[in-house]
Amino acid sequence: MRRLAALWTKEWIALSRDLHGLAVLFLMPAAFIAIMSLALSDTFGERRVEFAVLGKPELARQLAGHGFRAAPAPPDEAAGRDAVRRGELALVLVVKDWSTSDFRLLVDPSLPQPLLFAFQMRVLAAASGASPAEMLQAFPTEVVGAASGAGRLSSVQQNVPAWLIFGMFFVVLPLSSLFIVERRDGTLARLVAQRVPFPLLLAGKLAPYFLINLAQAALMLLVGRSVVPWLGGEALALPARWDLLALAAACTSVAALGWGLLVAVGARTLEQATVIGGVGNILAAALGGIMVPRFVMPQAMQRWAELSPMAWALDAFHAVLLRGGAGAALAPACLKLLALGAALLAAAFWLHRRRGV
Amino acid sequence: MLKIASVSFGYPRTGPVLKDISLEIPHGAIFGLLGPNGAGKTTLISILSGLRRPSGGRVQGDCRAIGLVPQELAFYPMLTVRENLRFFGGVQNLGGARLRERLDAVVAFARLEGVPDRRAAELSGGLKRRLNLAIGLLTDPDLVLLDEPTVGVDPQSRAFLLESIAALRSPARHLLYTSHYMEEVQAICDHVAIIDEGRVLAAGPLAAVLGGAASLEEVFLGLTKRRLRD
Repeated sequence: MRRLAALWTKEWIALSRDLHGLAVLFLMPAAFIAIMSLALSDTFGERRVEFAVLGKPELARQLAGHGFRAAPAPPDEAAGRDAVRRGELALVLVVKDWSTSDFRLLVDPSLPQPLLFAFQMRVLAAASGASPAEMLQAFPTEVVGAASGAGRLSSVQQNVPAWLIFGMFFVVLPLSSLFIVERRDGTLARLVAQRVPFPLLLAGKLAPYFLINLAQAALMLLVGRSVVPWLGGEALALPARWDLLALAAACTSVAALGWGLLVAVGARTLEQATVIGGVGNILAAALGGIMVPRFVMPQAMQRWAELSPMAWALDAFHAVLLRGGAGAALAPACLKLLALGAALLAAAFWLHRRRGV
Repeated sequence: MLKIASVSFGYPRTGPVLKDISLEIPHGAIFGLLGPNGAGKTTLISILSGLRRPSGGRVQGDCRAIGLVPQELAFYPMLTVRENLRFFGGVQNLGGARLRERLDAVVAFARLEGVPDRRAAELSGGLKRRLNLAIGLLTDPDLVLLDEPTVGVDPQSRAFLLESIAALRSPARHLLYTSHYMEEVQAICDHVAIIDEGRVLAAGPLAAVLGGAASLEEVFLGLTKRRLRD
């Protein structure tokens, strides 16, 4: 235990004095969470769509709501077309004769199809004599398995776990760089000559970084809960089951540490470790729905996304944060992460034995 | 007596590095191991320290603790001198009073009293070499392997290091010393071996190896020829 304590202490001191490493682990994901939660808030939330009605001004008030905001009507159809072309209005409903349903919709080409469809439905509802608001109220809707206060995939609910996972996998950089420096400077050889077994050296490295990963998780959730709303975004809704959140973080950490250790053992230079670890993480993030949410990807890409361990980790976090799931809901993602972590650790052991110090 | 009996070793890509090396390192003596670059000195030290296993032959001896002082500055530059010493003591299972006692002893031995709280990265070249030596002596080892411990230091620091190494001579201890500085070896070693291309060219007490030659350098160049090495 004394030897392990010495290894842990060394690792803590070394990391606490590595300002770049700390910035990568804590500042980078915090900054991403704040920026991306705010930047994508419209994509996840109610996007405000400005529309105008020509020829039947009183209809505008009826169609407004649920993200559709009525703007003052342009003087004529040509002005309406110009307003749409310039992007000032997303939709202009030109009514010639409402009683005979003689109307035409001018549409901004950048308007997403679902929003266009939603507006068309509102117009059709109004044309049939019903109020869109009353129609929606009469439509019983239940969000299934929502965590307390969450209920839907908002920008902050997507971005906090996503960039937290991204930051956790970045332990690869400080972990591998110190290991490579130890090997390059002969420190590792000295430790082996001092009869420090390799599994003990690994335990000395993995335990501190495991705790760092958990600290990252706690701090990033705090950023989502406090900093993002302070900056004008939505607050992260936290689940009642903190233990499950910790389980998701722990399983993610196992995979991240396995990856970090394999890069540490496999890379021969600091440059190699930075490129392999950094680029590997960025690719896994791009594929796994960290940078671009999976639901906006085409179906084929969504299937490819299933290959990324970051996607598994995101599934685990979403199961808790979004769906308020129990342990069974996390199990598939957690098992995949644990299996990957074990496989990567085994590969690192094998490679180390093959290469020696 | 530490016996190296018919030890051979080869790397997969470069082929044999040590070819049937046999040496005897007596207690209480400083044994100088000489050889040009690539002769196999560091590989032999790796085998003695347990980092590599010989492909043939064996090492016989009863050593309680091995102190390796590698050619590289093998410590943590971001840690202070004291933190480095505490760490290397801790991983060798030293703790409590024993660790404090050994830490004080090696700090005094390597004359590091003025710098225990300075980060290792900030030390001068000579102080770094002394810290490297101090770490190797933490367990009061009975086999000390010194791989070119005076590389890159000024004459004062080198003189201090040589005096310190000479002071390590003890009846219960084996000391193996490698260097490219012939005058150093001639000054502090009792026994020497000259190896080249993985073979022992000469070995024995210093006087016997010197024979009638004026200096060890003359013997060394005579045996290893003047051909440049990679």
